[in-house]
Amino acid sequence: MSDARHPDSDDRRESDRRTTELIPKIEQGIVIDHIPAGRGVHVLAAVRGYPGMENTLISVGLNYASTKLGKKDILKLSTTNMPDEVIEHVALVAPRVSIKRICDYQVDKKYVIEFPQTISNKLRCRNSNCITNYEDRVTTVFRCFDSMTRQVKCGHCERIFFLDELDLIRATD
Amino acid sequence: MRRDLISIDDLTLAELNDYLGFAARVESMSETDKVTLLRGKVLAVMFFEPSTRTRLSFETAMQRLGGGVVGFSDILATSVKKGESFLDTIRTVECYSDVLVCRHPKEGTARLATEVSRIPVINAGDGTNQHPTQTLLDLYTLQKFFGKIDGLKISFAGDLKYSRTVHSLLHALMKYEGVEFILASPELLELPEYLKLEARRRGHTLHETRDLMEAVRGADCLYMTRIQQERFPDPIEYDMVKGAYVLNAAMLRGCPAHFKVLHPLPRLNEIATDVDATRHAGYFEQVLNGVYMRQAILLDVLEVTL
Repeated sequence: MSDARHPDSDDRRESDRRTTELIPKIEQGIVIDHIPAGRGVHVLAAVRGYPGMENTLISVGLNYASTKLGKKDILKLSTTNMPDEVIEHVALVAPRVSIKRICDYQVDKKYVIEFPQTISNKLRCRNSNCITNYEDRVTTVFRCFDSMTRQVKCGHCERIFFLDELDLIRATD
Repeated sequence: MRRDLISIDDLTLAELNDYLGFAARVESMSETDKVTLLRGKVLAVMFFEPSTRTRLSFETAMQRLGGGVVGFSDILATSVKKGESFLDTIRTVECYSDVLVCRHPKEGTARLATEVSRIPVINAGDGTNQHPTQTLLDLYTLQKFFGKIDGLKISFAGDLKYSRTVHSLLHALMKYEGVEFILASPELLELPEYLKLEARRRGHTLHETRDLMEAVRGADCLYMTRIQQERFPDPIEYDMVKGAYVLNAAMLRGCPAHFKVLHPLPRLNEIATDVDATRHAGYFEQVLNGVYMRQAILLDVLEVTL
């Protein structure tokens, strides 16, 4: 079905127009799109503090209309090189977002980041009796328990948590 | 690949059943035949918190297979008291032994030990998390009493919140078909929500009650646990609750012949001693089964086949 006949095409054009108005198209960089509304600030927090990302220009758009999500947030970054570690971090705070690499105003590469199956040394276990909170130099490991509900299981104490219950270990910690 | 035994969750149903079969073969062997199987091997028992049954059971199991035992059951007599880290203790003790058995009050310690140890690690209890060797001996006991595990109706009573033996056994039983659960506990000591959720997600029927008699009626087996006084902030509240979860012989009148009472022990007053003489008492046989199962586990992780 062509875009012109698509039932949502008016919404989409409106969404595109409003997006363009407030966050101009970028010549090159990375667009983090389809962030569920409300999680854009979490993605921003995940991205901006990383070593190597301190000087990256970032535009943040919140509450844009989206045919897929109803409302979405969007980030545009001046860099074309986002380390894997940062992408993994973004996957934790907002799974299934789109990453688009832009070159010469065109989408050069696009992919969706999935909820990770294993998360190493990025989350602190909330169980106060978990050995990872007592022994030095221990790498925490969490495994995906349910990607839909964003639940993860500690690889050591085996407790299951909602991802939002857990604190992130930043690279600078 | 090195074999460890850390969590029941790591084992498939086939592996659980392999252990049950292996323990039965061990039990059927004569003591004379068994006593050479682990000659020259050394078991290190590292108990960072007290234990009677698990430690003695492992030591007996090893010695009856011809192996030696080193270790500690009181951290006050070790370098841990001087501030040595858990991981350094593991790295040290593994130099003296062929297999490690570890109990620790913190959850996840046995798993952590596997990250640095070059020899097999067996979890003998980590905090409130897992106690897989107890679970395997519990399964073996159920298999021996009932000839099957699928489709059993099993009641758990007492402290279902903190009891790692209950948590571990539930994880294992969820792998079997059609096992139904009756959960009898005071409100303060209910089974954690995530375990109830997991059991229901896997299609098991759960019935919750405050009444111990409901856990007795209609079940094939009652798995009792001790209610620990230290879990109650108010001693009066503890006194009110503890009396409601005491099983005596009179309560077992009318139970079917096959009905069994199990308990990981030690018991305080939750099973009156008059139950011991009934045909329903299964807990001392459970203790004996522990030796056979731990022999099977030691042989398995040290890759000895029968």
